[in-house]
Amino acid sequence: MAEDSNRRYEKIEFLGEGQFATVYKARDTKTDAVVAVKKIKVGTRVEAADGINRTALREIKLLQELSHVNVIGLLDIFGQKSNVSLVFDFMETDLEIIIKDNKIILTAPHIKSYMLQTLQGLEYLHAHWILHRDMKPNNLLINDQGILKIGDFGLAKYYGSPSRPYSNQVVTRWYRCPELLFGAKQYSTGVDIWATGCIMAELLIRLPFLPGETDLDQLGRIFQVLGTPTEDDWPHVKALPDYIQFRSYPKQPLKEIFTAAGDDLLEVLDQMMALNPLKRCTATESLKMPYFSNKPHPAAGHQLPRPGSNKIVNKEQEARRAGLKRKQNSEQDRGLAKRLMF
Amino acid sequence: MEEQGCPRCKTTKYRNPSLKLMVNACGHSLCESCVDLLFIKGSGVCPECGVALRRNNYRLQVFEDAGVEKEVDIRKKVLRDFNKKEEDFGSLQDYNDYLEKVETIIFNLASGVEVESTRKMIEQYKKENKEFIKKNQSKLSRDEEYLEELIDMEKQEAASRKQTTMEEETREKALKRKHKDALIDELMFSDMPANAIMATHKQTSVVTKKEEETRPPPSAAPTFSTGMRFTQQSVFNTGGQVTESKPYVFTPLELETCGPPYPDIHSIMNDGFLSNVRPSTEMELAGGFEPQVACQRALQDTFCGLYYFPPMNQPCASPNSSGSWSQGNSNSPMCVS
Repeated sequence: MAEDSNRRYEKIEFLGEGQFATVYKARDTKTDAVVAVKKIKVGTRVEAADGINRTALREIKLLQELSHVNVIGLLDIFGQKSNVSLVFDFMETDLEIIIKDNKIILTAPHIKSYMLQTLQGLEYLHAHWILHRDMKPNNLLINDQGILKIGDFGLAKYYGSPSRPYSNQVVTRWYRCPELLFGAKQYSTGVDIWATGCIMAELLIRLPFLPGETDLDQLGRIFQVLGTPTEDDWPHVKALPDYIQFRSYPKQPLKEIFTAAGDDLLEVLDQMMALNPLKRCTATESLKMPYFSNKPHPAAGHQLPRPGSNKIVNKEQEARRAGLKRKQNSEQDRGLAKRLMF
Repeated sequence: MEEQGCPRCKTTKYRNPSLKLMVNACGHSLCESCVDLLFIKGSGVCPECGVALRRNNYRLQVFEDAGVEKEVDIRKKVLRDFNKKEEDFGSLQDYNDYLEKVETIIFNLASGVEVESTRKMIEQYKKENKEFIKKNQSKLSRDEEYLEELIDMEKQEAASRKQTTMEEETREKALKRKHKDALIDELMFSDMPANAIMATHKQTSVVTKKEEETRPPPSAAPTFSTGMRFTQQSVFNTGGQVTESKPYVFTPLELETCGPPYPDIHSIMNDGFLSNVRPSTEMELAGGFEPQVACQRALQDTFCGLYYFPPMNQPCASPNSSGSWSQGNSNSPMCVS
C-alpha cells in the first residue's frame, strides 16, 4: 500500500522547509489534483520518542476528524521506510504574504472576508473542542479561489479538561494573549480569539500590531495600548503563576490607533482583545456582531487579491538575465573583446 | 524613506505607532513625551538650538519637514499684520510689489537672514498702518464670503442628491414587492403549470430592468468647489465588481452528533449540572477557564455517537467517512466528583 502511495504523488516542485518537515508541491496521479505533500522529518531521538514526531502526530490525530471549508483538509497519509508524509490541499499563498505585499491594496470588503473565513473556521474548531494555539497570518492559508483555510495543527490540542495542565509556551509571541504571558496553565478559546484580534489589527495597519521583543516587552506593549488590567476588570489576575505588577497605563481609544476603521469593526476588535479572557468574545459571538452583516459586504472569493503579479515579473527578469548571460558567454567564446570608446 | 522619529529619545513611528511629534516656533520637532518631560515648568529651551520656548506654543506637527512647519508659523504671524487686499492698491503693479515684499519678509525670518532688520521693518510697517490693519481685520474679505457661499451651495446639492437616491430606493422596493405579489397571485389562481408562470414572470422582470437601465442617470455628478468632478469611474476603483458580493448572514454551526440532544450552556449553568464538577480555582478563572466548559464537554462526549451504527458491510469505517462528531480523545475530562 505504501508503494502505491509513493507512486501516486508526483513531485512538481519544492515549496519550503520548516523545523519539522519539508513541503513539496505534487500531483495526485489518481485524481489529477495538485496537492501539498508534507514530509515529516525523523528528528532527534527526543523528538521522535513517541515513534513519530509529536507535531505530526497532533496534526494527524486532529485533522483526520475535521472537515470544514475553512480548515485545511488532510487528504491522505502514507509512509515510506521510516518517513511519514501527510497530503494536504494545495494552497497558493498565505495571509502573511498578502499582508506584506505592498502592491496589494486591502479594502474593507477584503478584510471582512478574511476575518469572516478565519472566524468560521475557528468556530468549527472550538465547537469540536480543539484549540489551534498557533493562530498567525502565516498559518492562514489561501487557495487560488480566495478560500482561506486554517493550517498547521502542530500545536493544536483538545481543550476542556481541567485535570491536565497545558503549556503556556504556545502561540507565536506577537499573537500571544496576556493570560499566557502571565503563565496560565488552564486556558480556553480566548487564546485563539486574541490572536485573531491581532491578525485583524495587522490587516488594518499592514504591520504586526504588537511586535514584542521579549515576553516582558510583549506584555508592556499590550498594556500600553489596552491599559494595565486591575483586579476589577480582570478578577484573580494576581493568582496567575507569572503575574508581575506593571506600571499602570491608561487604555488608548482604538479609534485613535485605527483611524480609518469603522465603529462596527472597532467594536469587534475591542471585544476580541479584551484583557480578561472571560470577557473576550467567542468566535460565535463575534460572527453575530453587526460588523459582519453590515455594508460593505465581504468580498467574494474571486475578488480577493492574489500576490502572483510580483512572481511573474521576477521570472521574466530572471529569464532576461539568463539570456543576457548567454550572450556575454558566446561573445567571450568568440574571443572578441569589446573595445570601449571614450 | 527615512523613519520619522524624535531627535531626542530616538523613538520612531515604527516602534511606537502612537508617537506624536510636536513642533514649536524654532522649527525643531520633539515627541509628545519629551515635550512633557522638558517643559514640565511651562517653559524651557529647545534641545536642538537652545532658543527659549513655551510649552503652550507646541503644537502637533502636520508636515514631515519641520522647516515647513516653521515657515507656516511665521507666515501666519506676518500675514496677520500684512493684511492688505488687492482692492486697497491703485494698480496691479503696486499689489505685486507688496506681495513680493511680504514673501521676502517671510523668507528672511524663516531662513534666519537679516532677522533684526526685517523685524524693524515689520515694526515700522505696523506703526504706519495701524488704522488700516485694524480696519481690514474686522471686515470679512470677499474671498471668505465667496468660500462660504460655495460651501452652502455644496451642502444644498448634497441634500438634494440624498433625497433623490432615497426616492429611487423606495420606488425600486415598491416595484419589487409588486412583482412578487403578482407572481404569487398568478401562482395561486392561474391554471398554467408553475414552471411556465415562473418563466414568463422572469421575462417581464428582465424587461423592466432593461427599461430602468435605459433611463438616464437621475442626478448629475456632483461638482466640487475645486472644480473637480466625481463620477462613477473614480480613481479609487480597485477593480472587480463590488456589486457581486453577497451580504453575510449568520447561521449557527450545526454539529452532527449521532446522539441524543445534550443540554445547552444555559441549562448547564442553571440546572445544577455544575454541582458535579469541581469549581474552577482562582488561577483557572484568571486564565479564562470556567467549570461549565469542562462540564459541557463531558456531557457532549457522553451523548455523542450513541446512535451511531457502522454500516453492516464495512464494520471498520474510518473516522472521516463515518462523518460522526469527533470523539477519539484520550484525555476525557472529569465530570463526576
